[in-house]
Amino acid sequence: MASLIKALLDWLRSLFWKEEMELTLVGLQNSGKTTLVNVIASGQFTEDMIPTVGFNMRKVTKGNVTMKLWDIGGQPRFRSMWERYCRGVNAIVFVIDAADHAKLDQARAELWSLLEKPQLANIPVLVLGNKNDLGEALTVDQLIEAMNLQAITSREVACYSISAKNQVNIDITLRWLIKHSSSAAAAAPLSSSSALAL
Amino acid sequence: MDNASRVRIWVNMLAKRHTWSSTMHAGAQADALIAGFHAGGDAAVGAWMCWPNHSALRGGPVSRRLTDSERSKPSRRGLIAKMSWKKDEDTDELGALMNLDHSAVLQEARMFNQTPIRPRQSRLLLAKILFLLYRGDSMSTNEATNLFFSITKLFQCNDMSLRQMVYLTIRELSTISEDVIMVTSSLMQDMQPKSEITYRANAIRALCKIVDPSMLSGIERFIKSAIVEKSPAIASAALVSALHLFNDAKDVVRRWGNEANEALNGKALSQGPSFFGRSSSTNQVVSTSNIVQYHAMGLLYAIRQHDRMAVLKLVQTFSGQHKSGGSSWMGGSGATLRSNMAHVLLIRYAVRVMESDASLAPQLHTLLEEWIRHRSDMVSLEAARAVCQLQGASGKQLTSAVNALQVFLCSPRPTVRFAAIRTLNALARTQPEAVQPCNVDMEGLITDSNRSVATFAITTLLKTGNEASVDRLMKQMQGFMAEISDEFKAIVAEAVRSLCRKFPAKHGVFLAFLASVLRDEGGFEFKRSAIEAIVDLAKHVPECKEAALAHLCEFIEDCEFTKLSVRVLHFLGEEGPQTARPTMYIRHIYNRVVLENAVVRAAAVNALAKFGASAAADAALQQSVRVLLRRCLDDREDEVRDRAAWALRMTGDGAMRGKYVRDDSTFALAVLERKLVEYCANPAAAAAGSFSFEGIPRISRAQEEEMRDRARVETMDAVLTGSAISAPSKQAGGGGGGGDASAPGTPAAGGAAGGFVDAFEQQAQYAAKLNAIPELAAFGAQPLVSSCAAADLTEAETEYVVRCIKHVYAGHVVFQFDVTNTIPEQVMEQVEVVMEPEDGGSGLEPVVVVPIPELRCNEPGSAYVAFERTDPASFPTAAFGCTLKFVVKECDPATGEPMEGDDGFDDEYSLEAADLGAGDYMLATYIPDSHSVWEALGTAGEVVEVFALAAFGSIEACVASVAALLGMCPLEGALTPKSKAAHQAVFTGKWMGAAKTVARTRMTYQKGAGVTMELAVRSEDPGVSELVVAAVA
Repeated sequence: MASLIKALLDWLRSLFWKEEMELTLVGLQNSGKTTLVNVIASGQFTEDMIPTVGFNMRKVTKGNVTMKLWDIGGQPRFRSMWERYCRGVNAIVFVIDAADHAKLDQARAELWSLLEKPQLANIPVLVLGNKNDLGEALTVDQLIEAMNLQAITSREVACYSISAKNQVNIDITLRWLIKHSSSAAAAAPLSSSSALAL
Repeated sequence: MDNASRVRIWVNMLAKRHTWSSTMHAGAQADALIAGFHAGGDAAVGAWMCWPNHSALRGGPVSRRLTDSERSKPSRRGLIAKMSWKKDEDTDELGALMNLDHSAVLQEARMFNQTPIRPRQSRLLLAKILFLLYRGDSMSTNEATNLFFSITKLFQCNDMSLRQMVYLTIRELSTISEDVIMVTSSLMQDMQPKSEITYRANAIRALCKIVDPSMLSGIERFIKSAIVEKSPAIASAALVSALHLFNDAKDVVRRWGNEANEALNGKALSQGPSFFGRSSSTNQVVSTSNIVQYHAMGLLYAIRQHDRMAVLKLVQTFSGQHKSGGSSWMGGSGATLRSNMAHVLLIRYAVRVMESDASLAPQLHTLLEEWIRHRSDMVSLEAARAVCQLQGASGKQLTSAVNALQVFLCSPRPTVRFAAIRTLNALARTQPEAVQPCNVDMEGLITDSNRSVATFAITTLLKTGNEASVDRLMKQMQGFMAEISDEFKAIVAEAVRSLCRKFPAKHGVFLAFLASVLRDEGGFEFKRSAIEAIVDLAKHVPECKEAALAHLCEFIEDCEFTKLSVRVLHFLGEEGPQTARPTMYIRHIYNRVVLENAVVRAAAVNALAKFGASAAADAALQQSVRVLLRRCLDDREDEVRDRAAWALRMTGDGAMRGKYVRDDSTFALAVLERKLVEYCANPAAAAAGSFSFEGIPRISRAQEEEMRDRARVETMDAVLTGSAISAPSKQAGGGGGGGDASAPGTPAAGGAAGGFVDAFEQQAQYAAKLNAIPELAAFGAQPLVSSCAAADLTEAETEYVVRCIKHVYAGHVVFQFDVTNTIPEQVMEQVEVVMEPEDGGSGLEPVVVVPIPELRCNEPGSAYVAFERTDPASFPTAAFGCTLKFVVKECDPATGEPMEGDDGFDDEYSLEAADLGAGDYMLATYIPDSHSVWEALGTAGEVVEVFALAAFGSIEACVASVAALLGMCPLEGALTPKSKAAHQAVFTGKWMGAAKTVARTRMTYQKGAGVTMELAVRSEDPGVSELVVAAVA
């Protein structure tokens, strides 16, 4: 009986406090998007993933925030479709393999072409340099430099260096994301400055 | 309320489950239903059993949780049903659905992008979209792509009913939208073992629609495990998907054979009496139809269809012979087919094995006999049908099949009656006596409430019946002609037509019947068959000719079909002049000139002309016809005036009239048409001069008539047999069936003439192929002479099959070699034939060799070798030793793709010699009135020689070989000697397609001395006569 009342209370509370947000994860193939989603959703790291063909959709509840994560495949054939899934989301998460120096130029080009889309104006962007557990991974500053993030002025941009494998900085990533959920975004109007951390 | 009726209501509620689905989960309702069983007891079982059965018959998923997909199966009827149940809910929706507007619906689809998703509204909108698609609305790629991507957003909602609609819509959009591959990953997630059965089965079905073959290996693992899944819904979905994928990705799907086999032999999930208890205890409803077996059988066959032994093994596994001795893992009854539909498939496969390998036929025949006694109607019918359709089934074999069918004729189910009577009808066309025992039962079916059954019963009876029953049948038929569809009317007319030939004495009854049906309403096909039947009757039963012509005249007075009017007018023109009172017909014909459209008027003018030109016409009649024709000169239409002018000229000139009337030949229409098309397509030829009729072979009218007859029988066969499975058997029967298909009244040389006419079609194809090769096209527009029959240069059943066809051009001779590679493991490249003159051959210079670039197994190709005749006046004969030269590469037998890195090796294969004889220069063509041509040619160019041919044992053998050597057209009766002692034969042809040549032979046969033959040849070109005689010597 007691548990029933508790469940009912939880439900009522969620009615009042629940917040929903929608996020889209994009980035070149093999940068760790699906892995990151798994880590956020279940806290488990899986080593060998197959490339995402199309997209995966996951719902994750953290506290009173329900996040809908659209994880879009990073192979060239899917890149033209990123924009469709970025429209109207609360934030775009751009994941980069920080240890793969050869593909940084390509990543920058894809990021900038995505941000140039008029439909996506003003949507906050979180750039994540994944795989910082590897020795050759770029630091946050190097990444900002490589992605030319300073040049973005018309929207909110943040950049973190994370490791999905060792679960480094996943917490601050989540915090940033939750801050940009719909109600929070409404409360705090868009700041044009770049929030750079670490 | 008693328990049984309560359960019935539950079942009904389940059918309408959408009215409460938004609040209640499908599973919950089924739970309610299950609860009903406990209350309903035995009475409930009946109602319950029929439901899963029903769903399984449609090949749908059968798990309990699939009620939703049942509702939303993408059949038009299902969807409309859905539209109509919405009516109960809110009537204003109905109007909206009936007048759906394409763009409004697409506009509404923006709803999918909103958050949160509204499952119920979205589902309804998806139903509207599907409704539009099923209705046939076309959607542009752009619209479909946008719609598709909006729909992918719906994956965030876990509402089961909505998800199923999403699957369905994805399947429909998969062919229109771009980038459908986008949902691959999402669908793969849904088909993981941990998701719901409903999701898994439907996700697999949707996935197979969007996946491209290159991606297939990525999902192979999942589909393999789904095939052997215990749940029939999932296993069926995977098997059916595999079957669909088979066409695009044979290699991958081929690897799933073991899994399909496992599914085929899988344990029965339903086990008779225990089924009910199980289903309530485990909350798991299982199918009683074993649909998985059916699907597995189909896939397994698709994979192994080219391996005859594997298919045979498949058939034998389920033959029942191994029931006791079968391997232990199969268990006692493991190797029996629980699915009737799978059994039907098995029978069809067995028949295909029998057709491809006659040596296995007796063994399989016993199996079929056994299956005729199967307890299921479906299996028994199929087995009986298979036996009836087999080529050359003996009377004894047929008896048991016919007996089984006879029992089915009295079945209370119309479907079974229809299947049985249809099979008997087909059988009656070839073996009416085998069907006779069923006559009494079939007479009972004439009054069947199902008109299709009744029609088949009547037409079958017409074939099996005797003269006495005809009157009664015709009367009964008259009664229901108005009630049946046009197609059946055409079948009836066709049946009457063949009956006319069988019982000429009854012509009065038939004619009355046909005339009365002609007065009824009816479509073109039906009227045409009736007209043809009357024409046939008039031709073959002289006594009723006048009456038939009168009926035809009456018909054209009020005929809406131009084509039929023309046909009748032509026939009147042919037959009318010979009748006692031609004037009667002339009046009818002239009415057409006054009243009809230009096409009919032109035909009427031609018919009038025939009356005027007829030998039987006296001066008064001729004068009247000329008056009428003169009036036609004022016609509005050019064509009509032209024909009238020509007719006036022709009827006024006695010599021309004689030529026109006595001409009993006509052009080979196929060749004439092809030449005319070529002429019209080529402006250079038109500039060079008018169209030339030289070189177009002529055939006699009798031959043409017979050709038409055969074509008619063949199309009729195609209409009646119709099903795909009978196609191969029909082809096989084509050669032998030609003879018995021709009516008793046709000329004796029927078979030979038929083959002769067919050859024209063949030559048209050769010419098209030759013209496609630039080196050969340079020799001339097309060969003057092409040999009719291909000569085999290899034994049958060897590795390579080579046949030689010769084409003679004005200055060149081309040898065409049709090569077939029969070894699946190898590809031949650069295939060419090397020809070495062995004997003669002077005056022939090799000029062009055209190899075959690549030759795969069982895909015939043609190589060519061309020679130039150095002296235009001489016609050399020669024999060439031939060798096939090629490069062999190994290949994968499955795909025919050559192995990587195999450079191949050169190989040779020696062939039999190819001959070039004098007969090859001769165009076999019918020359009308050969007797007067013979006289006109005179003795100047005549060569006569006498041969003593001791080697021949009979006149038939001699005349056949002479005909082959001469390469000329045998006139009627030439090849079929009436006496064994003496025979005369006349052959006609044109040397090099131009110089008319007539050959007469007289032969006598004496035992001991062999055949003595005198050959006399006259030709327009005197040199030719000698060459022709030399051909025989």
